[in-house]
Amino acid sequence: MTSNAQAGSVPDPRGPAPGPAPVSVLVVEDDATIRRAVQLALERYGYRVDVAADGLSGLESFRAGAHDLLILDVMLPELDGIGLCHRIREESPVPVLMMSARGDALDVVAGLEAGADDYVIKPVDTAVMVARIRALLRRATFGPDGPAPEKSGRDRAPDHILTFGDLTVDTLGMEVRRAGVTVPLTPTELRLLLEFAAAPGSVLDRRRLLRDVWDYGWEGDTRVVDLCVLRLRKKIGSGRIETVRGFGYKLVRG
Amino acid sequence: MDFLNPRALRWKIAALAAAACCAVAAVVGFLVHDATRERGLRVGTDRTLTRLIAAEREYDRTGRAPADIDVRSRDELPEPLARDLATFVGTETEPETGAVTGAVTESGPPDTGAYATWYDADPPNWFWMWGAVAVADDRFLVVRDDMSTEVRSLQLLDRSIVKSVLAALLFVVPLAALATEPINRRLRHGARTARRIADGDLDARIGTAGRARDEVTEMASAVDDMAGALQRKLENERRFTADVAHELRTPLMGLVTAAGLLPEDDEAAGLVRDRLRALNALVEDLLEISRLDAGAERARLDPVPLGELVADVVRRTGTDTRVGAVDAEVVETDPRRVERIVVNLVTNAHRHGAAPVEVTVTGARITVRDHGPGFPADLLERGPQRFRTGASERGRGHGLGLTVAQGQSEVLGARLTFTNAPGGGAVATLDLTPHASAA
Repeated sequence: MTSNAQAGSVPDPRGPAPGPAPVSVLVVEDDATIRRAVQLALERYGYRVDVAADGLSGLESFRAGAHDLLILDVMLPELDGIGLCHRIREESPVPVLMMSARGDALDVVAGLEAGADDYVIKPVDTAVMVARIRALLRRATFGPDGPAPEKSGRDRAPDHILTFGDLTVDTLGMEVRRAGVTVPLTPTELRLLLEFAAAPGSVLDRRRLLRDVWDYGWEGDTRVVDLCVLRLRKKIGSGRIETVRGFGYKLVRG
Repeated sequence: MDFLNPRALRWKIAALAAAACCAVAAVVGFLVHDATRERGLRVGTDRTLTRLIAAEREYDRTGRAPADIDVRSRDELPEPLARDLATFVGTETEPETGAVTGAVTESGPPDTGAYATWYDADPPNWFWMWGAVAVADDRFLVVRDDMSTEVRSLQLLDRSIVKSVLAALLFVVPLAALATEPINRRLRHGARTARRIADGDLDARIGTAGRARDEVTEMASAVDDMAGALQRKLENERRFTADVAHELRTPLMGLVTAAGLLPEDDEAAGLVRDRLRALNALVEDLLEISRLDAGAERARLDPVPLGELVADVVRRTGTDTRVGAVDAEVVETDPRRVERIVVNLVTNAHRHGAAPVEVTVTGARITVRDHGPGFPADLLERGPQRFRTGASERGRGHGLGLTVAQGQSEVLGARLTFTNAPGGGAVATLDLTPHASAA
């Protein structure tokens, strides 16, 4: 469960906009009050917010405008949030934040399996939601000078192309190829893979991944990590990332 | 149940079977013993009389008795024989009713009349059958016949009856004990199932597996019906709580977000936000309790450095709490649940206790201590109860925090104990040592 009682840390609502060009967010939510309130709240933080009331119109709005981030409710009329997430993932690696009124494992797991990058449980404080949005956007926008290479101390390595078996990771071009074919990864998956690539062969525990990739403290749900690793394995080959029971995961070198 | 427990049903039934077996053996044995004894006496009497008659005939013919027959005067006769003979000499009287003496008149020769017999028994080894007949005035032929063969065979019979009863018991008791096994097994299965239901496995049923439509089956189906009825009731209640909380979340979400839009510096808006936070926490706690009740919660274990976790968690509560760590361990546990527990304990300490609140991590143990009045006696005795706070403090806290903490510690397999410090103040201890809950 997300800790959402940190109202004390809310920045000035009319605070700095996230960048020169406003980030555009699409909120798909069937409850009119929530839809409008979230729209108003996010607009105060400087985001450009589009809204849709059901899954199908959400899909249409997404196709019509280039959004930087999606916030999807799980229970939606017409096409539910999980189905919608599936459809969107077929077309785009855009960051997706799921919003569920039910904290049960099934909902959360289904959403993450469908390709969502993170989830929050309703009711969520605007500050918490904005923190999650920022973390997601950081992942989506970091480039060659992003945090991962610095952290790993590998930034001055002359060779920015890393090879693991049939997998090549270009840490400058932010491109992953498997047997020469480009693998489409979402920003979260890419960020996770880079984290592994920075320390091949060493075991990374879930907590650390949750902290470094998702920006969570202890309150984060490690299922997010497990399911993202699962999705990553499907894309880059199931043997590439090994589970070390009781500890975490590691990337196989050879 | 222990196999050797003397109060087990199996041994009671075995004892009953043994008692029934012994009773039957006693009755039959008595009848057989009696009939055999009668027969032995009759045979003995016949033998004595035969010898007596033969001796009488010889005496009549030769005037002398055979070598093995005594000729005695009346005074020399054993007293019972003399008395017996006297009855023949006098008028006809009732035959004596004693078991050991009897007069036989019908089988003797008609001219002499009366033969007296007397069974002279003096256990353990004096068994004689006496016979006497008058042959002249004050001259009697006296025969003494050994009866010990009959007595021995009767004793042998008794002994073999006892032996066969014992042999039968050796067979019957284990058989009875074994024969109760199917019923015992069904009863034990029923007891186990009832205990499982009590332990929270509401789907457990005894089932009516056997074909026997006996009292045990009836009892089993009655218990199953009861379990089913209780389960439906309980599940309805839980579903209701979960549904209520869940349905509350959607409007609450709108409310929370909308309240966030209200001006920061407005006092009224602050009040709204404050109460909203309380309402939010209540709904979350209710949902959490209903999930804990449903037993749907599973811990997700990770190696967690306790000292670091607790320090971080306490810092994020934003309260004035001292944190200390002594040899803090790395524990395999679910950090989110530990966080839940610690936050609830610290919040509770601040709400109901008094500063300073101290959180100490020692090894795998987290202690939260305040310096207030301590936990109420009711809580120390029965553990946290829902919606039950100290009466005077009603309205501050809803009394679910400690219930949640307790439930979460159970999911973790940890032990959460509430005590009062000797110097005053409440002490809550979360022991995350593996298998601490088993203690």
